[in-house]
Amino acid sequence: MILEAEGLTKSFGGLNAVDDVSLQIEEKELSSIIGPNGAGKTTLFNLLTGHTPADSGRVIFRGRDITELPPHMICRAGVGRSFQRLNIFPRLTAFDNVQVAVFSAQRKGGSLFSRAEKMLREEADEVLESVGLDDKKEVQGGLLAHGDQKRLEIGIALACQPELLLLDEPTAGMSPKETIETTGLIEKLARERGLTLIFVEHDMNVVFGIADKIKVMHQGRIVFEGKPEDVRANDEVQRIYLGEEKTQCCLR
Amino acid sequence: MERMEMKGFLERVVVIKRLWLAMAVAFFVVLPFLIGKGWLSLVNEMLIMALAASGLNLMLGYTGMVSFGPAGLYAVGAYTTALFLTKTGIPFVIAIVAGPIVAGAVGAIVGWFCVRRTHVYFALLTLAFAQIIWTIIFEWYGFTGGDNGIVGMPVPDLLMSISHYYYFSLVVVVICLILLWMIGNSPFGKILQAIRENPGRTEFIGINVKRYQLIAFVLSSAFLGAAGSLFCGFSDSVFPDYAHWAKSTDMIVICLLGGMYNFAGPIIGSIVYILLSKLISSYTMYWMLFLGIIVVLLVLFMRGGIMGFISEKLSSKIQEIRLRGQYDTGS
Amino acid sequence: MRIEVIAAQALSGLSVGMVLFLIAAGLSIIFGTLKVLNLAHGSIYMVGAFICYTFTSTFAHVIGVFWWTLILAPIATALVGGLIEIFLLRRIYAEEMLYQYILTFGLILVLGEMCKLIWGVGYHTVSVPWPVNGSVPILGISFPVYNLFLIGCGIAVFVGLLFFMHYTGLGSTIRAVTYNREMANALGINVPMVYTGVFMLGCWLAGLAGTLMPPMSVVALGADMEVIIGCFIIVVIGGLGSLPGAFIGAIILGLLTSFGIFIVPRLAVAFGFILMIIILVIRPWGLMGKPE
Repeated sequence: MILEAEGLTKSFGGLNAVDDVSLQIEEKELSSIIGPNGAGKTTLFNLLTGHTPADSGRVIFRGRDITELPPHMICRAGVGRSFQRLNIFPRLTAFDNVQVAVFSAQRKGGSLFSRAEKMLREEADEVLESVGLDDKKEVQGGLLAHGDQKRLEIGIALACQPELLLLDEPTAGMSPKETIETTGLIEKLARERGLTLIFVEHDMNVVFGIADKIKVMHQGRIVFEGKPEDVRANDEVQRIYLGEEKTQCCLR
Repeated sequence: MERMEMKGFLERVVVIKRLWLAMAVAFFVVLPFLIGKGWLSLVNEMLIMALAASGLNLMLGYTGMVSFGPAGLYAVGAYTTALFLTKTGIPFVIAIVAGPIVAGAVGAIVGWFCVRRTHVYFALLTLAFAQIIWTIIFEWYGFTGGDNGIVGMPVPDLLMSISHYYYFSLVVVVICLILLWMIGNSPFGKILQAIRENPGRTEFIGINVKRYQLIAFVLSSAFLGAAGSLFCGFSDSVFPDYAHWAKSTDMIVICLLGGMYNFAGPIIGSIVYILLSKLISSYTMYWMLFLGIIVVLLVLFMRGGIMGFISEKLSSKIQEIRLRGQYDTGS
Repeated sequence: MRIEVIAAQALSGLSVGMVLFLIAAGLSIIFGTLKVLNLAHGSIYMVGAFICYTFTSTFAHVIGVFWWTLILAPIATALVGGLIEIFLLRRIYAEEMLYQYILTFGLILVLGEMCKLIWGVGYHTVSVPWPVNGSVPILGISFPVYNLFLIGCGIAVFVGLLFFMHYTGLGSTIRAVTYNREMANALGINVPMVYTGVFMLGCWLAGLAGTLMPPMSVVALGADMEVIIGCFIIVVIGGLGSLPGAFIGAIILGLLTSFGIFIVPRLAVAFGFILMIIILVIRPWGLMGKPE
């Protein structure tokens, strides 16, 4: 078991965004967290990665309690993340975006007098290639197309050499074609590198396409978890999604 | 086809850049033989200010930290050198070196408090500290000479003449600029830029953002102090208004004018700014009005400054080649 | 120290504090709603002071000229502010903080120099108007009535602003925009107009301060820088965006400065900064602000 959360709770002004959530993630598992808007998925991620302090509960990664750690230490411990709202470095080139993460992972941040241009180029190139952006590496991050930016973000997360990768809506805003491509990419990268993946998604095609396990969140709690077939067949899950036409048709 | 044209173009750009650099260095070296003492003195001032602004830009342009008080650290450097020279017998060069060291130390203390906050609060903290430094210098009559400042530095005979001090400044400034350039282009420098672009994301690639901001603050302070020390020897005196917020804003405007996101920006900005100020002040007593208008126009229409403008022209040329290439190959 | 001296110092500090409150309140309201720290606010105050001088000297023969000026000068100042907001400030709301500050700094220069151009470098005076001239004995010391009038004005404006913000429709609109700009927009509120209105309100307050101050002091260049630093200290102590905070902050600064001069005269100026640093490090949202 690579990640375990016990009784995580976070409330904002009386409203329980995350309500006593516990979960276990096995190594190399690809699991997905789904749920309607406002279910608390992003907040849960924020609790896991230290961006928001939990009111109560613990997060244990590889046997180590990381609940109180600041985000940069959690990242160092081996947890990577992509964010729901675009989180890249707009004025840096795609190459720099990734190289900076490589520098950090390889602990080169302290070197003040070496030429960054010449360092760790292969590693950065390799990451760019794996997300399919090596032909755009001199383009400024902010000028890339939306889909490319999302892939750049995944690249940055990968460059940190995580063992556990949390992806918050990695295909948001993408066209159907791009979504399929990116989904395939994510699955391939995860299997190749032996990553454990937790991703939040709205697009059910993505979820049922690659998830080994699915957890359904609703109003801050995990209301169901299981294999895709079980989730699909479950009445309560269907009920939660009633009214969300897009997901309904996919659950059928 | 497009690739070759692009490669050729970029190679030409690099060669042109190197040529410019070599010409600039040669120009500065032979300058004393070309112009009079008055102008040489002005250029000396430009060099020192270029160093100060470049030091500030490590925080401002690279890391995105808006400080309202660089003049405070500049003054610390200047006064350190002045006090060492007038109150102790230590050699001139040691007194000059002491400036950036003390400024860096003060920067460490001030910075430690300031980086705990961000944005407006950070800026206000830097302002408060700068004003405290100013007040201490202004009021501590017995030590710093207060309002009267300290006049008359024991400068070694070798550096007494304007052209000799000019060469001394040139050497020091060039060395410091080389150091700054290396820092800016190092992995550390890249991480600073990442912090500027997106501090939250930088945190989550494993960087302790506050620590890097503090180091940037200290380095910045040291270079500002170095500039102050140089100026102390140059002008043979130090006054409290070296720490005045007006000087801070001069430095910030220089960075903006030249271009914050470019290494050469503060240098170009310093030259243009000092020339403009001397020129306009000689015609009118409303130099500040022109400065204000220039500043407003800069912010509204030319945020990248002079170098930003040039960069844009370059990248649109590159874009043009790229598009033409796509057109030709039908992609 | 005798009680009379303390009282006199306190009242003196308070009256200065009230003038600063008016300016700081404007600064705070502008920051709270527009999220811009208007560095040029002191300059707008100075413009108001010069306008006051011009009105009172041009129409000196008119009875009660000062009171007319008290109504008109702040409005004129607000109009100047409106022009600034519409033509300049609007373009940089979406930009990074640095550009906002540089723009407002540029305005300091432009406004300051325009004042120099129009009114010259000398100083001007405005006489204390009837019926608030003269002095009253307080605890045996002769205290100017006008200073008491200033304190009264400060309190009146504070109460008036609170009432306006919390009990009027317009005030609710402003508070809605302050709280959540997008939401307010979605509700059909014309946000750009609210922004302009709030900026003009802030300038009106600065203009009011600029009109009330001259009888107590002089109208001269440099007034902008004298007050702006004090205003920063006040809004930091009180909390950026908080009206009651500005009031309390102004009182604290006024008293701190007037008593500080007794204790350590030379470093009295630094007291404000030290307090500012302490607050920024420990509790940046000030005494009455809300943490982000």
